[in-house]
Amino acid sequence: MAARVLQQCVRSFARPSLRLCSGNLAVRAAAAPTAALHRPLSFAADSRRTRWLGQSRTPSVGVLCRQYGDLPPLTLETIKDRVLYVLKLYDKINPEKLQTTSHFMKDLGLDSLDQVEIIMAMEDEFGFEIPDAEAEKLMTPEEIVQYIADKKDVYE
Amino acid sequence: MASAYLTHQQKVLRLYKKSLRHLESWCIFRDKYRFYACLLRARFDENKGEKDMVKATMMLKSGEEEFWANQHPQPYIFPDSPGGTSYERYECYKVPEWVLDHWHPSEKAMYPDYFSKREQWKKLRMQKRSTSLL
Repeated sequence: MAARVLQQCVRSFARPSLRLCSGNLAVRAAAAPTAALHRPLSFAADSRRTRWLGQSRTPSVGVLCRQYGDLPPLTLETIKDRVLYVLKLYDKINPEKLQTTSHFMKDLGLDSLDQVEIIMAMEDEFGFEIPDAEAEKLMTPEEIVQYIADKKDVYE
Repeated sequence: MASAYLTHQQKVLRLYKKSLRHLESWCIFRDKYRFYACLLRARFDENKGEKDMVKATMMLKSGEEEFWANQHPQPYIFPDSPGGTSYERYECYKVPEWVLDHWHPSEKAMYPDYFSKREQWKKLRMQKRSTSLL
């Protein structure tokens, strides 16, 4: 009797885990099979809750591994979007003329004090400090995106 | 930085940045901070065009003294920067980069995109190291 319930548990959890594994091979493979394997073991103890078996939602691609209290992962695209968004909010920059390769001093006509303010806005946006020695060299949005990607290990 | 000495411009910019950060620690409400930050920026801007280096250095010195007198006792420090709460927290878990070369091929096959470009990346790094002055 208990063995039959256990078999039902394992079979119904094997089905969603197959779906997960076959659909998303590119993602870290270690997390998904171990998570799928551990679930029947834990649910064997609560075999009374058989109604829950069919209702595990297939999570989206980025959420297959466990998320503790952390921010969503950064990608180059999102970093670039955020950097350009912050720059467009700055009132001394003309948003139409802003490109990723536009130099602050030569193309946009900004000051070195303005560049310090921009770097401070980037620090506030991304939540980590950019030391002065490296901040004074960042003169285009492209360089800022690369620096942040270096520091945060994004598609290095 | 090529040499160990900072230029006058660099010193002024560093003073500006740290004074803005301490001002942010003092004026916690964003609109109040914005107001006083604009006033501070105006003070820096009016003396911006000073050509006499002696006078400029004296102004920088008085600015540093004013900063020292008005600094915040517990300024906001970002978690990952020195003095912050999370500084070097995960340092013990970081693995050196050359360990990736010692992975088993079956492990390397789990990340084919990265390892296919890794040789190119190492070559670029060797080139950069040989051509850069640092």
